Amino acid sequence: MKIRKTLAATTAAATLLGAGSAFAQDPYTIGITQNNVGVDSYQTTYEQAFIAAAEKNANVETVVLDAGGDVARQIAQMQDLIQQEVDAIIIWPTNGKAVIPAVRQAHQAGIPVIVTNSNIAEEGFDFVASFSGPDNITQGARAAEIMCDRFKDLGIADEAQIVEITGQPGYTTAIERSDGFTQRLPEVCPDVTLVESQPGDWNREKSQKVMEAFLVKYDDIDGVYAGDDNMGVGALNAAKAAGRAEDITFVGATNFAVGYEAMERGEYWGSIYQSPVDDAEAALQTAIDVLEGKDVPFLNYFDTPKITQENMDQFTKPVF
Amino acid sequence: MQQETRKRMIKESAIWGFIVLELIFFSVAGHFLSLSENAFMDFENMLLLLKQSAPIGIIALGMTVVMINGNIDLSVGATFALAAVVMLDSMSWPIFAPLGDWVIPVSWALALLTGMVLGAINGFIVWKTGVDAFIVTLGSMLGFRGLVFMYNGEQPTFQLNWTMVDIAEARLFGLQTPTLVLIVCTVLVWLMLNKTIHGRNVYAVGDNREAAVNAGIRVGPHMMINFIIIGFLAALSSVVFYSASGSVNPNDGMLYELWVITAVVLGGTKLTGGKGSVIATFGGVIAIQLLRKGLGHIGADTAMVNLVIGSILIAVLYLDKQLNRKGDGDLKV
Repeated sequence: MKIRKTLAATTAAATLLGAGSAFAQDPYTIGITQNNVGVDSYQTTYEQAFIAAAEKNANVETVVLDAGGDVARQIAQMQDLIQQEVDAIIIWPTNGKAVIPAVRQAHQAGIPVIVTNSNIAEEGFDFVASFSGPDNITQGARAAEIMCDRFKDLGIADEAQIVEITGQPGYTTAIERSDGFTQRLPEVCPDVTLVESQPGDWNREKSQKVMEAFLVKYDDIDGVYAGDDNMGVGALNAAKAAGRAEDITFVGATNFAVGYEAMERGEYWGSIYQSPVDDAEAALQTAIDVLEGKDVPFLNYFDTPKITQENMDQFTKPVF
Repeated sequence: MQQETRKRMIKESAIWGFIVLELIFFSVAGHFLSLSENAFMDFENMLLLLKQSAPIGIIALGMTVVMINGNIDLSVGATFALAAVVMLDSMSWPIFAPLGDWVIPVSWALALLTGMVLGAINGFIVWKTGVDAFIVTLGSMLGFRGLVFMYNGEQPTFQLNWTMVDIAEARLFGLQTPTLVLIVCTVLVWLMLNKTIHGRNVYAVGDNREAAVNAGIRVGPHMMINFIIIGFLAALSSVVFYSASGSVNPNDGMLYELWVITAVVLGGTKLTGGKGSVIATFGGVIAIQLLRKGLGHIGADTAMVNLVIGSILIAVLYLDKQLNRKGDGDLKV
């Protein structure tokens, strides 16, 4: 009862004072339904960062829910949030397609929906206010720049040959990271040739086998670009076994703990730093911006900086 | 005599008392802890609760029948997923293309047929081999799930048809489609159990199989019919749910068998068979959904929800055992 009264009082005060001062503003209630907290440390860190960011902001109250990977539970949580009349809903989809009707329900109830981390399918774009997450094309392009800069330092930018190990075929993330790289590379290093590209399916062992085949096939490999560090380290292991790791520059499109450790050992050159903390803070900020009526781009990417052996001391080791 | 009736009422209404307790607790706690302006007992919220209970609830009705019968079915989650795959995939089969939106009822029928066939397979194996239903359906749980993965690999099966979504989200007398299906099914299964010979036999076979055989009940075919019923209901639950969401992941429905069994046991049905009621199962389903919803309402996380449901399951069974002992008055520790 007390809470209600205070709330009513603040609302009244806000109305009297006008919307000018943020202090007297009625706090926004933002609900979030996450994919599967606890299944990996990225998602766990994301949740902690989200709660911490929300606590720091006096204008925001949050309802933090987790679908536990279950689509049905996520849909029920969406309905609950709609029923509770929250001001905005952030969703980390368990299934980019199955949640579309639930997202439409929120849209029809006049509640803006912000999709976080991985986007829903195109059929649902009409019902989404904004997507907040990493830009895989940029990650690929930046990885190309890291690779090129390294070759320039080594003085082999005019003749270097590289191979690529991509993520699982058919996954948008895999396709975008590859496209970003292959488009950017000829712009910065036109004389570097990409001799072959093979899928490593996000799997370290698979990637190791792919790299073993590459090493047999090509006598001269100067660089390896992998869709993430997990696969990059698989390739590194293959090169180490063949005694050729010293001559090769390894670059990934997303930094993992294994990649970070290999960088510390001086075996792995660089990657792209994607922080769950930035991811969570960006999602919350996007929701607030949407509620405040700011002009938010439909695809609202957060920054994913380059990390190499040279600047890695500015970054903490990834949690995943 | 009157005392007997009162005792029976306490025993049978344990789950309803529990639901009332939950409602009071969440209304009071929600008042202080929830961010929502709306009360927990809000009418719309209760309607939503019924709707959200439907997927587990519809299957739980079938599980009650099978468990009273002295069997169990662990394959319902996989049946749920496979029926959804058949329903959503068949909507895009070229032979149905001329039907337009009339493909929807055809796909529904195919999904329900799938569920009945899978149930019949379970029942037939139990009947002909005499292997315990727990083992048979443990095997078919893995086998049916394998079929789901064979169908479409790791990819989700997807068919977004807004007409179908609108049907699934429609309201009749203020009740949403899933709620209506749940209520109608509850009534039908109750009638079946209490007003038909087959229903009486369900109890008789579960209570004492040998006596039932001696009384002339053909136990094998009888049990097979019950497995077909639960297969049908698992598929019906799938039809209701996936008509509204339009996409099924190959992992969907995993652990549903455990939630369903939890609900049935909460409702007081005996694992050993012979006793149970669908009305009480309905209560068990509501109790679980209330807990999930209520704990979410006051801001507890999923891990906490599971911990609480697990503890309550054990507590309720203990209480049930105590009440029954006192009721029977024979076991003294």
